[in-house]
Amino acid sequence: MIQKNYLVITNVIKTKCVLMKKIWILFFLTFLFISCENSSQQVIKITAKTTAINPEIQQDSTYIKKFLPYKNKMIEEISTILSYAPKNLERNDGKLQSTLGNLIADLSYEKANELFQKETGKTVDFSMSNYGGIRSGIYKGNVTVSNAFELMPFDNTLVVVELTSEKVEELFEYFVAENKANPLSKHVQFIIDDGNYTIKINGKPLNNNRTYFVATSNYLQKGGDEMNFFVNPESLYESNFLIRNAIEEYFKNKDTLVASLDQRVIIKD
Amino acid sequence: MKRRKFIKQTAAGVALASFGGFTFQSCETKQKHITILHTNDTHSQIEPFDESHHRYANKGGVARRAVLVEQVRKENPNTLLLDAGDIFQGTPYFNYFGGEIEFKLMSMLKYDLATLGNHDFDNSIDGFYKQLPNANFDFVSANYDFKNTVLDTHVKPYKIFYKDGIKIGVFGLGIELDGLVNKRMYKETKYLNPVEIAQDITKELKNQENCDLIICLSHLGYNYKDPDKISDLKLAAATKDIDLIIGGHTHTFLPKPTLVKNLNDENMLVNQVGAYGLNLGRVDFYFDENNNKTTSEKTIIL
Repeated sequence: MIQKNYLVITNVIKTKCVLMKKIWILFFLTFLFISCENSSQQVIKITAKTTAINPEIQQDSTYIKKFLPYKNKMIEEISTILSYAPKNLERNDGKLQSTLGNLIADLSYEKANELFQKETGKTVDFSMSNYGGIRSGIYKGNVTVSNAFELMPFDNTLVVVELTSEKVEELFEYFVAENKANPLSKHVQFIIDDGNYTIKINGKPLNNNRTYFVATSNYLQKGGDEMNFFVNPESLYESNFLIRNAIEEYFKNKDTLVASLDQRVIIKD
Repeated sequence: MKRRKFIKQTAAGVALASFGGFTFQSCETKQKHITILHTNDTHSQIEPFDESHHRYANKGGVARRAVLVEQVRKENPNTLLLDAGDIFQGTPYFNYFGGEIEFKLMSMLKYDLATLGNHDFDNSIDGFYKQLPNANFDFVSANYDFKNTVLDTHVKPYKIFYKDGIKIGVFGLGIELDGLVNKRMYKETKYLNPVEIAQDITKELKNQENCDLIICLSHLGYNYKDPDKISDLKLAAATKDIDLIIGGHTHTFLPKPTLVKNLNDENMLVNQVGAYGLNLGRVDFYFDENNNKTTSEKTIIL
């Protein structure tokens, strides 16, 4: 027992000694470490080089393998057939209107009005978008998700602006001056007669005692295509809803895409 | 200078003699070297541009960036890979998967840190938050106050890295969101004055954290015609102790970093490498111990 205790004690002493030694070494190493690490480091030289990621550089196939399943899924989804077009729809197949422009203007109106009514209880009077914003035609045959992307590659969203009648007049003056098929919805009847014009909105002449709610894109509202009459509206409703998604939704809900030239813009010679 | 170094080595030699065995060499002579690799505004450009593209045919692509990054890491393991924001938006990959694949590939590339650009709010702050589990790297932003948003505690003002004994502080700065991003998207995110925040953060990183290197990841934009609009060049001139600003937003391609005098009239660098992952930026910092230097002389080779 005593023997054992003695052993234990010597062991303790031994351990203590080793421990002390260890602590000392640790302390010394820490000192070394600190003397090395704690003195702050100073930048003495800087070099720089930007490398262009050109086709000559090899591709790491593990990365391609990683994104390929996503790509395939995307291709599959993008080629999903949503509707059918019995004839070509283009942005330049009429005079100051077009089949495709009319389609886009009307579906933009429908979606903007739906969202606007839900939020405010009020009704949108008409819509106007831009000729330049239609980036592709729809051609006879199957209509896919890809068509919606080609038509509207930009992430523009639907907005509704409240305009004074003066601003609405400016809008129509712009329309005439630009002489382009900037899409107007079917709620407008615009008769151009040798430079003069008359406007009816929902069957009624322009009323100077009221304001109008006009649906358009956030791009045009910010002054895109110099549609400055949209820039400082009486009020602004931003739906945040992508026009592309509105197009896709419309395609999904229609078996066949039908659009024609109609009475919204009449040019009398 | 040489004489000083000699004296110092002799002193170390004497110290060595009394303890024996140890060598100070590793601590005395090895010059430390940190490599910073960076991208900005990659905008979901995962694949190289299409061969029919009018400007960037076949250029870019994550799989090529990976090869370059690996080469540099082999050359110098003490490398940080950083991104200055606008990772999201630009190709259908984002429209379809909301940034999932962008974050996953950046994680594979072992990005160390990124900051948020305005387009990273394109699926709203919730859309960004939803993708965070796919990112094995952190985001920093010092001037977006996320307190009342889902990003609270997920995005820190800065992060500190230790590489080869060098302490590197990297903080983030974001652009004013009002007018650029719909409020429904960024919700209760508060934009704070980037200059004031940068001044505070650099003070903290320099004096409290004792960082050897301070880097700012900025999505403010390189430079603007509007003299009142804050930009990287203005930020650089209005602050001190930042060694490098890695910028974004304006898609500015700088063939080499811009040398700018900071508030203390010291040289620092501002860099930005265009957009869409068409380029990989690289800045190398070489260090020496401070105590045998009298002034902050440094050689900048651009």
